[in-house]
Formats: sequence, C-alpha cells, structure tokens
Amino acid sequence: MSGRRGRRWVHLLTYAVLAPAAVVTLVPFAWLLTSAFKAPQEFFGSMFLPRGDGFLGVAWDRLTTGNLTRLFRELSIGRAMLNSLFLSSVTSVLATLCCAAGGYALAMYRFRGRRVLTWVVLGALIVPPPLLLAPGYQVLYRLGLLDTYSGLILPAMAPAFGVFLFRQASLQSVPPQLLEAGRLDGCSEAGLFGRIALPLLRPMTGAFLLITFLGVWNNFIGPQIVLQSPEKQPLAVAIAQLKGVYYEDYGLLMAGTLVSIAPVAGLFLLLQKDFVSGLTLGAVK
Amino acid sequence: MAQDREQPIAVARAFALRWPGWLAWLSPGGWVIAAIAVGTTVVVVGGGSARPSGEVRMWTFAPPHARMYEPLLEQWASEPDGRRVDLEVLSLPALERRMLGGFLSGVPVADLIEAERRVASRAFAGPLDAVGFLDLTDRLREDGLLDAINPASFSPWTFRGRIFGLPHDVHPVMLCYRADLVEAAGIDVSTIETWDDFARVMRPLMADGDGDGEPDRYLIAFWTTFPDQLEALILQAGDGFFDEEDHLRIATPTNARVVASLAGWIAGPGRIAADVPEFNAAGNKQKIDGYVVAAIMPDWLSNIWRQQMPELAGKLKLMPLPAWEPGGRRTSVWGGTMLGIPRTAEDPDRLWELAKRLYLSPELSRALYEEGDIVTPVKANWSDPIYDRPDPYFSGQAKGRMYLDLAPQVPRRTSSPFNTMAMQRVQDALVGLVELLRDRPGTDRATLESRAMDLLRVAEADVRSRMDRNVFARGETP
Repeated sequence: MSGRRGRRWVHLLTYAVLAPAAVVTLVPFAWLLTSAFKAPQEFFGSMFLPRGDGFLGVAWDRLTTGNLTRLFRELSIGRAMLNSLFLSSVTSVLATLCCAAGGYALAMYRFRGRRVLTWVVLGALIVPPPLLLAPGYQVLYRLGLLDTYSGLILPAMAPAFGVFLFRQASLQSVPPQLLEAGRLDGCSEAGLFGRIALPLLRPMTGAFLLITFLGVWNNFIGPQIVLQSPEKQPLAVAIAQLKGVYYEDYGLLMAGTLVSIAPVAGLFLLLQKDFVSGLTLGAVK
Repeated sequence: MAQDREQPIAVARAFALRWPGWLAWLSPGGWVIAAIAVGTTVVVVGGGSARPSGEVRMWTFAPPHARMYEPLLEQWASEPDGRRVDLEVLSLPALERRMLGGFLSGVPVADLIEAERRVASRAFAGPLDAVGFLDLTDRLREDGLLDAINPASFSPWTFRGRIFGLPHDVHPVMLCYRADLVEAAGIDVSTIETWDDFARVMRPLMADGDGDGEPDRYLIAFWTTFPDQLEALILQAGDGFFDEEDHLRIATPTNARVVASLAGWIAGPGRIAADVPEFNAAGNKQKIDGYVVAAIMPDWLSNIWRQQMPELAGKLKLMPLPAWEPGGRRTSVWGGTMLGIPRTAEDPDRLWELAKRLYLSPELSRALYEEGDIVTPVKANWSDPIYDRPDPYFSGQAKGRMYLDLAPQVPRRTSSPFNTMAMQRVQDALVGLVELLRDRPGTDRATLESRAMDLLRVAEADVRSRMDRNVFARGETP
C-alpha cells in the first residue's frame, strides 16, 4: 500500500516537473499556429491571438485563413508538398532497401575486400556532407542529372550511415544459424534476405525509414542546388523562397511552416513506436 | 474438372503463404510511407514536365520584381520575333551558388541574371576576361546610356573600367523620423544640418519619463551589428573602403572620424543609438512602440516599413541625412541590383534589347515606384509626376521627389568582392572602440579617433592579406 502511494507521489512529482516543461516547449508552436492565421496588420499587435471583444477576449473575426489560401492558390505550395512527399518517400524506401541489403551483406557474407569495404563505409561517415556539394554538383552535371529528381534520389540511396547501421543491426539481430537452416531448406540468398533478414531487421527498418524521410523532408541545400525548376522544388525550398531578401511576410511564412511540419508530424506520430524500438535495438542485452 | 478447381486454390494458398512474408518487411507505418512513395511516383511521373524548350531563362531574387516584369515579358513574347521568357525567382543564396557554379565550372546558367550587389561582386574576383557576365560598356556607350543613367548607379557593376550590368536603381538614403513624436516635442528638424545638430536638437526626446534611470527612447536605430548602415554612413562621409580604382582604403582620417562618432552614438556619454534592427519582428515592434525616433532609410526600405508596419502610417516623415560636417553630403546609398547577360547566353543582341526594355521603360520605372517605392536611375523618367504624389504613409510628403533630388549626390560603391570582408573588419573595429568606451567612458575625442585609426589599420592589413592570396586581386593593393 505504501509502495503504491510512493509510486503515485513519484508520478505526481514527475508530471509536476514535466508539465511546465511541456508547456514551455509548446509555446513556440502555439505562436506559430496563431501567427499563421493573422493578417499582416495584426502581426505585431499581440503575442498570440488578437485581443478584442469576442469569446475569451479574442477578436476571432480578425483571424484569417488568407495566408493559407495564398499559399495554395497563388504560390502553388501544393505542388511543393507533393514534391516533398515524393522525394522523401521514394528516397527513404529506396535508401532503406539499399542500406539494409548493403549492411546485411557486409555483416553476413565473407568475401574478398569485405574489411576494406567496411573501412571505406566507416571512412565515408567522417566526410562532412557540405564538402561533397561542389564535386557532387559537377558529377550530376556530367551525368545530365541536374534539375531532375534522380539527381537528388540517386546520391541519397545508400548513405554510409545507413549501411553501417544495418550492418550492426544485422550482426545483432540475424543469427547465422537461422540463415544456415534456410539454406539447408533450399531458400535462395535473395529469399534469405527477404524472408528472414528483413523481418528480423524490422525495428531498425522502421526507424531508418523515418530518419531518412525526415532528413529528406528537411533537406534544403541539396534541392536548392540541384533542382532549378520551381515546379520541382520541395517544401523546404519553397518555404525559404517566401522569405524575401529584406522583406518578410510573417503570416505567410508561418502558414508555410505550419503546412510543412503538419504532414511530417502526423507521420512521426504514426511511426513513433518503430522509431523508438529501432533506436533501442540492442540497447539491452 | 477437380484439377481445374484445385489450381486456383493452390495459387491462393501459395500467395497467402507468401503474403505474410512481404508484410513482415515493414511495419504498418513503413507501408504507409511505401504507399505514399507509389502514389506520389504515379502522380509526379504521370504529370510530366511543364517546361517548354527553346525559351529564354531569367533569374531574379525578388518576387516583387518578377511581378513587375511579367506583363512586359508577356508583351515581348507576343511580338513577331519575341520568345517566351521563363522567369524564375530564386532565393539569393541559391542564385549566388548557381551563378558562381555556372561561371566557374561551366554548368548552364540563365540567359539573364538579376543580381544583388553582393552577389554580383562575386563575379569580379578573377581577371577581366574571366568575368562571367558580358561586358556591356560598348553597348551602353553606343546607346547613349552612360549619360542617360545616374552615374553612381554604374559603380557596383564596374570592374577595371568595364561595366557588366545594367543598373536597376539609385537607392538614395534619407533619415526617417517619427514626426508625431518630434512635432509634439516642438522640434524643428529644419535646423538640423549635421549629425551633431541631430543629436543636440533631438536630445529632449530622450527624456526619462518613467524615472528608471534610462531614457525612454533613443534617437537612432544603429548598433555594432548593423553592417549595412555602417557602410552607408561611411560612404556618406566620402571615403568608403575602396577608392575609385578599387584600391583598398580603410584606414583614412575620415573613416576614423566616422567610426569614432558611431562608437560614441552607441557607448559614449551622449549615447543616442539603440539596437533596433531592420527586417525582424522584434525591431519592428520597437519601432512601432517608439523606442527609437529615427532610422536610416533607402528608398526600398520605405516599402518594407509600409508593408510590415502599417501602424506607423501618417506618423513618419523623411528628411535628408544629416551631414558629417557642415556643407557635407546629405545622402548615402544602401543596396543595389543589376541585370547582367552571362557570356554563355545565346543571342546577346536580342537579350540586350530585352534588358533595356525591362530596365529603361517608363512603365517599369513607374511600376518600380508604385510597387516597390524604388526610384529609377533613368534620368528621362524622373519627370514622371508619380514622384510628386504625396505619400500618406510619410505624412503626405512627396517622397519620390525627395529621393530623386538626392540622386545626384549618391556616392559611388565599389564592385570589389572583398567589400563584404572589409565591412566586417570595420565592424570589428567599431566593436573594439565601443569596448574601449565602455571600459573608459571618459575617453576624449582625440584619443578615440587615434584608437579608431589604429583599429582601422589592423582591419586594412587583414583585408589586404586576404586580397593578396588572390593572384588577380594583388594588383589592387598599392
């Protein structure tokens, strides 16, 4: 009884500490949300909602959906969102498959050059991505891939980080005996990967899928340099275009930011279990 | 017959046995992403490309400019020998990277590039024959445009005597002040000729009404973190960071005097400046609240204030900048844009005609002022009555005419790609002086100017050492 009461106090204390922290964390999001519905002339008049005579002292009639309307009607943000969804989902699916296959091969097969290849993958991890921008641009130009979606998707299909992550996950989660048993039963090597390895790597697959999706969704530099046509630009670039050199339409910018984080926030909620289980894979022996 | 019935069952059973295997590859969330990938691929690939081929491509960094150009470009496209122009608005960093990528590595760039001053100067880092823009000097001379355009507007695009861009603007600078506060205090701004007059005449506005020991407001928005305003004020005084031949010239008595004065504005016993920045919400709120009385305002900035701070309508007025000394220059310059034709562009003659139509037409000059409050550099268009129209935002002043009256006084700007670096080093010198004043508030003026000169010499030596690393810029250092 006293143990239960003690736990309850610990819970209460925990919530008492965490609740204000959560409120503080959510304040910028509340500001973002309210700002997205404010007209330019209202923007600096109040911190959150415009004050007035309406319910709760808020001038509800002065809130506007004009910023969102402008985004979709005049600025074709819908096309940018489609591009973001396309680039993020296709890249993350392909990268997950390629990294899983690469990591699995490095972990489970003995072949000449395996150690060297592993060191190359590890070495590639320490190369800062911005360093590759200029040579990458040149390569894409020579391959005729500038201003194409492929110019963004292909270089992101087998990141060293992912290959190494799946190599470690394969070493931990895929017992060689299981693969041996599969071989004895006549399963092909591709079958072993698809039927045995991938299901066992599922927590890591989910986490990596989400990490890659978020990474591509938020990628700004790459699309800004590779994609030149406005109709191909993803949300990150389209939103940045809303910011002028000297002038900023804050309401429009906040509406754009809101639109850009909403889908990915929904996806995170959907995949958060995978994400957490992937991150904790191997954390406990 | 029985065999016919069993065959589909076997297929279904085989499929059912395989299905869970496929399903196990990904979690439900993973399958959602996979479904999005399939769906968006169908839409994106099926949609095809909307880009027609064989068109002229133009890059700009300013959406308002794009809106102004569109009608003229459509008109050009509809003419018998016209072509469709694909106008792309890029963020400034994207435009800079693509432009330099094209000039340095030969990848394709647009046929016309509208570049802001700092971006365009990046093209002037090498030898003359390696500048990525087409040399327009002879075309400008043949068309009589060297005299038709305000001379100072050519300077940011002039590299070793050759001009590589058609000027878009003049960007004279005035002082914007809170007329409501100033007039309520009975202050007559016509008595202000110099910055010293400004500090003296406006001082009553810095009263400590709430008794907290600090003034309720300051006289001008300026701080060590405002490099653009710093450059504008230094250019106003006359020397700038580079001379007319683009030789580095930071440590001059005039510059030392200005930097010492600015340090005094920020940290001297007669402090008048406050950290009220442009282009951000906090600064705008402070301006609306009247925390500062005045700000340095080029023509284009007046448009930004109008859009971002409609609350200030009718409360503001403009006046020429106070001079650094009696009889001195009453304006400066801030910003600048040009239209350039890359060397790689096909049919430069045709593009030159288009460039002239875009930048020199009376319609565009008018639109430039109506939409962006920017006065044209084309002298023939200065007689347009639109510039005499009273502007309610600025208490009914004929703002356009006031800016144009100052246009001939606008100082020249350098085209050196090292200007930004010089500006940053001078900013460091200003910070050093401000620290000195904070440590030793009683520092006299002569000591302050002497210390300013020392710090500017350090700044100049640093920039010179960087310039010397560039074999093509070495000749620029005396």
